[in-house]
Amino acid sequence: MLHIEGLSISIENRKLVSDFSCALSENEVTCLIGPSGCGKTSVLKWLAGILSPTLGATGALTLDDTGITPPHASTTYQPQSDALFPWLTIAQNAALGLEVAGIPTKTARADVLMHFKTFGLAGCENLYPEQISGGMRQRAAFLRTLVQNSRFILLDEPFSALDAVTRLRMQAWLCDQLAHTPRGVLMVTHDLHEATQIADRILVMPAAGGPLAANISVTTPRHARTETAMAQIRTTLKSLLLES
Amino acid sequence: MQSFRHFLPTLVLATALLLAWQIYCTLAQVSPLVLPAPTQVLRALFIERARIGPHALSTIWVATLGFSTSVTFAFAASVALHFSPWLQRGLMPLLVASQTIPLVALAPLMILWFGFGLLPKVLLVILVTFFPILVSLLSGYGQVPQAYLDLLSSMRAGKMAIFRRATLPMARASFFAGLRISATYAIVATIFAEYAGSRQGLGIYILTAKNSFRADLVLAAVVVSAVLTLLLLAVIRLTEKLTSKGPAGGKRHAAH
Ligand SMILES: Nc1ncnc2c1ncn2[C@@H]1O[C@H](COP(=O)(O)OP(=O)(O)OP(=O)(O)O)[C@@H](O)[C@H]1O
Ligand SMILES: Nc1ncnc2c1ncn2[C@@H]1O[C@H](COP(=O)(O)OP(=O)(O)OP(=O)(O)O)[C@@H](O)[C@H]1O
Ligand SMILES: [Mg+2]
Ligand SMILES: [Mg+2]
Repeated sequence: MLHIEGLSISIENRKLVSDFSCALSENEVTCLIGPSGCGKTSVLKWLAGILSPTLGATGALTLDDTGITPPHASTTYQPQSDALFPWLTIAQNAALGLEVAGIPTKTARADVLMHFKTFGLAGCENLYPEQISGGMRQRAAFLRTLVQNSRFILLDEPFSALDAVTRLRMQAWLCDQLAHTPRGVLMVTHDLHEATQIADRILVMPAAGGPLAANISVTTPRHARTETAMAQIRTTLKSLLLES
Repeated sequence: MQSFRHFLPTLVLATALLLAWQIYCTLAQVSPLVLPAPTQVLRALFIERARIGPHALSTIWVATLGFSTSVTFAFAASVALHFSPWLQRGLMPLLVASQTIPLVALAPLMILWFGFGLLPKVLLVILVTFFPILVSLLSGYGQVPQAYLDLLSSMRAGKMAIFRRATLPMARASFFAGLRISATYAIVATIFAEYAGSRQGLGIYILTAKNSFRADLVLAAVVVSAVLTLLLLAVIRLTEKLTSKGPAGGKRHAAH
């Protein structure tokens, strides 16, 4: 379990996030939603250890009852833009996290290449990011994240740049990947439909700081998540977002 | 074929310019002592080739030595300044000031201090070419998207790792742009240094030719200096292409 306790983030004197606490469990997808500008990205960046120094943050992070300081090896962060380096091939990009972690280039490359087929990237190993489509780039970014084998992954609106159809495909694809190798996922999203399709737990952030507005567990199995089955929860979320 | 098409506009314009010059000299009957026609310059160049050759070689040698030393220093300095904002704030104004020193003042002083050898000329080339390379490197370092830096930091990459994996590759295009600007100064600076005092080199050749009122020989040396500069630029372009990473393979810089 990864516990965030009493996280407060402030800009100069303005409180952006206050008293944010939650627990992320492995094998569970947690979606973080909230009105625009409420500090979702900031929470994620704090967890990834890359919050801008102009934002002051206090709070505790504990992994299985041990205090840790981000950035920590147990979390992998995936920025909102895919941030694939244009001067590296897809294979080199995918291996970046492993290489930075000190794994020899050859081992890292071999490790990454095994997964190209399951990630729908077969044949793209030696292409450069600008040569592949948006959906493929996103999968390459996921490959870079997932091969790092950390217990938790932090996703900031991973599908926001995709067209509607690719987006649906990629959501299903991510669920398959996670069913195959479960991770603890904290995913920021704006899309209620996406949240209700993917999440095991949905956290709703309030607009004005303060504790979570809601922490909803979604128990319906993924294959049973039809429009009608999820209508109720979507209405609840919508009203929560609108009132905050 | 591709490159021929690329250079066609330049060829057409240059030919037109030379033709106009030739026609003007013929029609207006200008004295060759004042303005020799292109054909006369070419003839002078051909007749004098054995004398110009060694001078040109000497100039190439000094320019290359000065330029490569300059690139090395500029790179080392850029890394130091990148990692030390204090040093950058302190040194940049001084470096800018160094660029305002008139060469006509500096070149004779250099010769006074360091004699007629290699050193004063190499120093002069460094002084002229160092700054544009340094500035282009530093500006390239500043162009790394925040997302790349965030990504590497979240992977717990250290400062050096971030520099090597994101900052340096990102600065590549900007570095080569600075290199091209500096390269055009390198040959000119060398010739100027030789002009101020030297035993060998195109600069001293130009001085001698001027003193004996041989405008055609002066222009012949100018042609050689232009060719040398173009050669240097071609070498840089080739290096850039050969070391280029990415699908563009030079396409991204085709605008230059
Ligand atoms: N580096 C920074 N310096 C100053 N203010 C910042 C900085 N980063 C974020 N902010 C401010 O913090 C607020 C919240 O930003 P954040 O990106 O965390 O929101 P968000 O919930 O992710 O919004 P969105 O849903 O639109 O992505 C914004 O109002 C923004 O102006
Ligand atoms: N510059 C390029 N060089 C080589 N192949 C390319 C290039 N650009 C695109 N492709 C190939 O063309 C195919 C389609 O790319 P395109 O970006 O047009 O798809 P798309 O329909 O926009 O996809 P998406 O919805 O994922 O954005 C991809 O398979 C990609 O590999
Ligand atoms: Mg955001
Ligand atoms: Mg597209």
